[in-house]
Amino acid sequence: MRPWSLVACIGLLMVSVSEVVDAEPLVVEAALDRRVVAPLLEAFEQSHPDIELVFHDRSTLEVDTLVERGDPAPDVVISSAMPWQMARVNQDYARPLHSREARAWPDWAKWRDEVFGFTFEPIVMAYRLDLPRHMMPPSTHADLHTLLTTRQDMLRGKVTTYSPARSGVGYTLFQQDARYTPRFWDLVAAMGNVDAHLEENTRAMLQGITEGRYWLGYNLLGSYAMVWAQHHPEVIVQVPQDYSLVMMRMAFIHRDAPHPRQAGEFVDFLLSRDGQRVLAGQTPLFSVRPDVSGPYTAQRLRDQVGDQLYPIPINASLLAFVDPQRRDAFMARWRREFQRSR
Amino acid sequence: MIEVDGSLKRRLAIWLLVTVSGLGTLLMIEAYLGAQRAAQRAYDSQLEAAALTIAESVQWQEGEPVLEIPAAALQILATRHQERVFYAVLDADGRRISANLVLDIAEDDQRHVAREPFWRDVTWRGEDWRLYGREYDSAGWETQDPVQIWVGHTMAGRRALAGELFERAVTRFLAMVLLAGLLMLLAMRVALTPMRRLRQLLRRRDADDMGPLDARVPEELRELAETLDTLFSRQRDSRDALLRFTADASHQLKTPLAGLQSTSELALAQDDPETWRSALVDVNEGAARTSRLASQLLSLARLRHVGGDGDMARLDLAAMLREVTLEWAGRDAAREHDLGLAELPAAPVAILGASWALRELLGNLIDNALSYTPAGSEITLGIEIDTRVATLYIEDDGPGVPADLLERLHHPFERGGRQDTQGSGLGLAVVDSIAKRHGAAWQVSNREPRGLRVTLRLTLSSPEER
Repeated sequence: MRPWSLVACIGLLMVSVSEVVDAEPLVVEAALDRRVVAPLLEAFEQSHPDIELVFHDRSTLEVDTLVERGDPAPDVVISSAMPWQMARVNQDYARPLHSREARAWPDWAKWRDEVFGFTFEPIVMAYRLDLPRHMMPPSTHADLHTLLTTRQDMLRGKVTTYSPARSGVGYTLFQQDARYTPRFWDLVAAMGNVDAHLEENTRAMLQGITEGRYWLGYNLLGSYAMVWAQHHPEVIVQVPQDYSLVMMRMAFIHRDAPHPRQAGEFVDFLLSRDGQRVLAGQTPLFSVRPDVSGPYTAQRLRDQVGDQLYPIPINASLLAFVDPQRRDAFMARWRREFQRSR
Repeated sequence: MIEVDGSLKRRLAIWLLVTVSGLGTLLMIEAYLGAQRAAQRAYDSQLEAAALTIAESVQWQEGEPVLEIPAAALQILATRHQERVFYAVLDADGRRISANLVLDIAEDDQRHVAREPFWRDVTWRGEDWRLYGREYDSAGWETQDPVQIWVGHTMAGRRALAGELFERAVTRFLAMVLLAGLLMLLAMRVALTPMRRLRQLLRRRDADDMGPLDARVPEELRELAETLDTLFSRQRDSRDALLRFTADASHQLKTPLAGLQSTSELALAQDDPETWRSALVDVNEGAARTSRLASQLLSLARLRHVGGDGDMARLDLAAMLREVTLEWAGRDAAREHDLGLAELPAAPVAILGASWALRELLGNLIDNALSYTPAGSEITLGIEIDTRVATLYIEDDGPGVPADLLERLHHPFERGGRQDTQGSGLGLAVVDSIAKRHGAAWQVSNREPRGLRVTLRLTLSSPEER
C-alpha cells in the first residue's frame, strides 16, 4: 500500500469516528409509556440507522415544563395533555412540518401543520370480574350513574377515576365530558358519594382493579387498559355505548429544536404508513390512517363499537381548558359536586 | 402612389390593448384594494363576534370579574384557517384578569379603547396579528367597573381570502378582455363589409365607365363615395374636353391641309409656270398658317400638361409689358394700328410668374387685338396697381364682341362669331390656361361706347417671398 493511500485511509477513519462521536442524539420528550411505544421506536431506529434516538418518558407536566424552559429545547415533543400541547403551539413553540405525510394527514387530526394527533385512543370503563356477580355491569354513562346511586353501599371505596387536579389527561377528559352534558356533574356527585379514589394515571387504576382494591374504573385510557386486560383476565374493558371520548397523542417539533431535520424525519415516520402500521399491529395506540390494517386501527374500532366515538377535537377550543380562571372555576365546581352529599 | 400604412385591424388591436392595459391596471389596483378591504371586513367581524362572546361570559363574583373563557369564542377567533389566537381581559385598572399570550397591549391603545372600539395591526414573534379591543360595561352586586376585552388572531385567513377574491377578479377581467377582443374582431369584419362591397363595385367597373356610383354605403363612407363620384365626373369632363379639343384641332388642321392639297393638285394639272408660281405662293401662305396653328396647339397642350411651378420666379411685370409692347409695335402686323402703352407705375411691379408663359399671354392678347380690329384702331396696354393686386389690361376701340358670346371666348377655336380673320381661335384658350396657372382671374368686357377690354388680375408678390 502506498503511503498516500494509507494517509487517506486513516483520514477517512478519523472522519467517520468523529462523526459518530459528534452526532448528537435526537431528543424526544414524551408523555407516553416507553414499554407501550417500544416497537415504534425500534422500527424507527431500524429504518433510520443514522439517527440516534433518545426517548424520555415523563409526565405531561414535566414535558410541558421542558418545552417552555427550552434549555436545551427538545427536538420532538409528544404528550397526551392535549390542551397544553395546543397552548404551546398557539404560543409559537412549534415548527411547522411541510412534508408530504404532513400535508396528507387528515385535517381533523392536525393543527396548522405544526402539531399532529397520531394516535387514536378510546376512553373506556373497566371493571373487575367480581362486579357482574353482584350487579349488571354498566355499558353507558347513564348505567354508571344508576349503579353509583342505587348500589352505593356495595360500591363504596371500590370506584376509581382520574384526579382532575393531578392529571392533565384526567382534567381534559372531565372538561370534555362536562361539555357534552350537564348530567356529568350528577355523575361526579355520585362518584363523590361512593368515595371514589382519584388516581394519577391509568396504570394505577388498572393495578388497583387487578389487586381487587377497585371493582370499577371510569375514564381509563383504552390503549393501556386493552393490553392490560389481555394479561389480566379478571379485568374487563367496556367501551361506553352512548359515547366514548377518544384521546390523541399530539406531537410537534420544537421551534428551537437542535436537530430540525432529524426531528422532521421522526414526526414524518410517526405519520407514515410504516410507523402507523407498527402502531396498528404492535402497540395498542391505534392508527389514525385509514389505509393501514391491523388489530389496532381507528377504522376497526369504529367497526366494533359503532359511531359513538368522539375524538377530542384538535382545534382552538382546547385552549379554553388551560385558561387559569376557567380551570379554577372547573376545579371549584368539581370539588363542590364531589363533596355535594357529604 | 399607394403606401400601405399598417392595417386597420392592427391599429384597432393596439388601441384596444392600450386602453385595456391602462384601464386594466386601474381596475386591478381597485380590485386588489377591494379584495383586501373585503377580507379585512369579513375577518374583523369574526373578531367582534369573539369579543362579544367573551364579554357575555364575564361575571362578577365578590367584587372581582371572573371569566370562564368560552371555547366557542376561541374557535371563532381561530376561523377555519386555524389562526393563532389571542385573548386578554383587562379590568378597570389595566390588570390582566385572563390572557393566553404575553402579547403586550400599549397603554395608549388601552386608553383609546376606553373611548371606542379599536383595531390594531401588530407584529409579535415575527408574525402579523390583528387585534381588536373593546370595553364593556358590566354590573355586579359590589362593583360596576368596565372590563376591556382584547382579541386577536394571525392574518393567514385574510391573506388567503384577499388572494382568492383578487384572483377571481383577475379571472373575470381576463375573460372579459378575451370576449371583448373576439367581439371586436367580429364587429370589425361586419363594419368593413361595406368597404369590401365598394371595392368590389369599383373593381367590376369598366375602364371607361365614368358614370356616378350606384352603391349602398354607411354614413361614414358617404364622403368617400361622393368624392369618388366627383372625381369620376371631373374625369368625364376632362375626357370630354380632350375629345372635343382633338376633334376641333383635327378639324382646324384639316381645312388648311385640304386647301393645300387642292391648290397643289390644280397647279399640277397646269403646264403654265406662272400658275405654278402663284399656287406655290398660296401653298407657302397656307403652310405658314398651318404651322402657326400647329404651334399654338402645341403651346396649349404644353400649358395644360406641364405640371408644377418649377419655372415660377419673381419678375417685374411693368418692364416685361414695356418690352413686349415695343417688340410688337415694331412688327409688320402692327403697322396699320395705333399700339401704345398707358403710363406705367414708376416702381417695379413684382409678381411671381413664369416669364415665357406671360410673354406668350401678352403676345396672344396683342395679336388678338390686332387681328380682330379694323385698321387704324387704337390699342392701349397698361397696369393698374391696387394694394395687393396688379391689374394688367389691354383695350381697343374696335367692334367688341356680342354680349352672349363673351362667356365662351376662352374656349378653344372660339372666334367671337367672326370668320373673317385668319386666327385659329386658340389665342384666348392659351390665355385662359396661362392665367389659371398663375392663379389669376381674367375677364373680357365690352367698352362704352365701343371696343373691348381684357383685364388680368395678378397677385403682387411681397418682397419676403422667395
